[in-house]
Amino acid sequence: MADKAILYDATKCTACRGCQVACKQWNENDEYIPTTENGVKAKNRGSYENPPDLSPQTWLKMRFTEFEASGKVRWLFTRQACMHCTDAACVTVCPNGSLYHHELGFVAYNKDTCTGCGYCVDACPFSVPRSTRNILTGIAKMDKCTFCTTQGLDRIAESWEPACVKTCPPKALKFGDRTDLVAQGRQRVQALKDMGWTKANLYGENELGGLHVMYVLDDSPAVYGLPVSPQVSAATIAWKDVIQPVGWAVGGLTILGLGMNYLVARANAKKEGK
Amino acid sequence: MTRHEVEKYRKPIRILHWIHSGAFILLFLTGLVLFIPGLGFLAEDSWTRVIHRVGAAVFVIIPVIYLVINPRAVGRGLKQAFTWGSDDMGWLKAAPRYYFLGDESSMPPQGAMNTGQKMWWFFTIVFGIIFVITGAIMWFAKLAAPAALLQWMVFIHDVSFIVTGAMFLLHLYLGVFHPLMTEAWNAMAGGKISTEYAKAHHTKWYDEVTKSKEEKG
Repeated sequence: MADKAILYDATKCTACRGCQVACKQWNENDEYIPTTENGVKAKNRGSYENPPDLSPQTWLKMRFTEFEASGKVRWLFTRQACMHCTDAACVTVCPNGSLYHHELGFVAYNKDTCTGCGYCVDACPFSVPRSTRNILTGIAKMDKCTFCTTQGLDRIAESWEPACVKTCPPKALKFGDRTDLVAQGRQRVQALKDMGWTKANLYGENELGGLHVMYVLDDSPAVYGLPVSPQVSAATIAWKDVIQPVGWAVGGLTILGLGMNYLVARANAKKEGK
Repeated sequence: MTRHEVEKYRKPIRILHWIHSGAFILLFLTGLVLFIPGLGFLAEDSWTRVIHRVGAAVFVIIPVIYLVINPRAVGRGLKQAFTWGSDDMGWLKAAPRYYFLGDESSMPPQGAMNTGQKMWWFFTIVFGIIFVITGAIMWFAKLAAPAALLQWMVFIHDVSFIVTGAMFLLHLYLGVFHPLMTEAWNAMAGGKISTEYAKAHHTKWYDEVTKSKEEKG
């Protein structure tokens, strides 16, 4: 089946955060709300950005960036959520396949089988997966954007758009076949360039084998707080492609060697006994 | 024929050995489930991690207890394990013929620990320390440490796992299964080995023990 994707156009986004609300509402991710009734004083962090970070209950949030260029301040909005990589480090390091590629290309996971090791949390080049964690016992569970395939709440299986896309008022989010969205994204980038946004680019077209969430940006990804050249970390590759096979080889050869020693030594001991 | 015996390991040492072994086996098995994808389902819902941490606590406490109750024995052990001489080189050369073919003729005389046992001590101490440092970082600094550091801690922890895991299989095999190592199990189970075995396998140690007894007597 053709890969599906989301196209986010930062130049159309108004940061209404309707997508954040829709995401929480659809996926039943209620979060503790710090209010005075709850005994918590509201805190002014000097930004409309809220909540301050992703969490096991916040799979999507808008990042607000104030950026000054040639004496002019720009207020930029970026979507912060799983990018659904083709070369997904989280899928590589997951010890038991709880994280996997959905048949439509994006990265889904089975929360029931998650062991809470946190390898994906540390491997993700975008710092997306988040985990509940008891620091003493180590009991933990990972959560992230499921591309609206949350068990029992699967919109994709119903051929519906993801909740964030469905709700987006300025149509800054689009859902569809990845190849179509790449074409649309390129077209939009060209249009921006024609308007004088020379650094406009389509982020995610080729990064990490092609992301399943692509961004139309009017400036460098760095300005938007995105890694310019996201990579699967050296530690991820070393662990998966070196340590794992070496472990198998050493373990196997040790058992084989000891087994052979047993057969030879026993045969000799019997001979001597006679 | 009466069996003449000599004490190889005293009771407190044996108890500590078996508790430490138990902890290691728990750690080995609960670590293995994250290493072999086919066993990963056993780690669901983190319960193997809870066991791993209990095992880790025991694994750290036991050597500390040993150090506290008998610092001199620990010092002696360390000195032996890290003192290598020509007999050790000779042992390494002669060992394959002995362990495969039972040819004992060229095995040099050994102390309380033979060269193989010294290696096991060395691996246990060096990699034990690496395990504890990398493990403690993953345990207590999981939320604070940079992601790259945590990833390399997993890497180093797993290298130690592979090295000590292989050595552990060897240790287990020699202690329990090898056709010629008839007394190793007795030494750690009941504490005593036959005098013939002691004379043949730990000549230097046997001479020391009998000499000091004669002096006392």
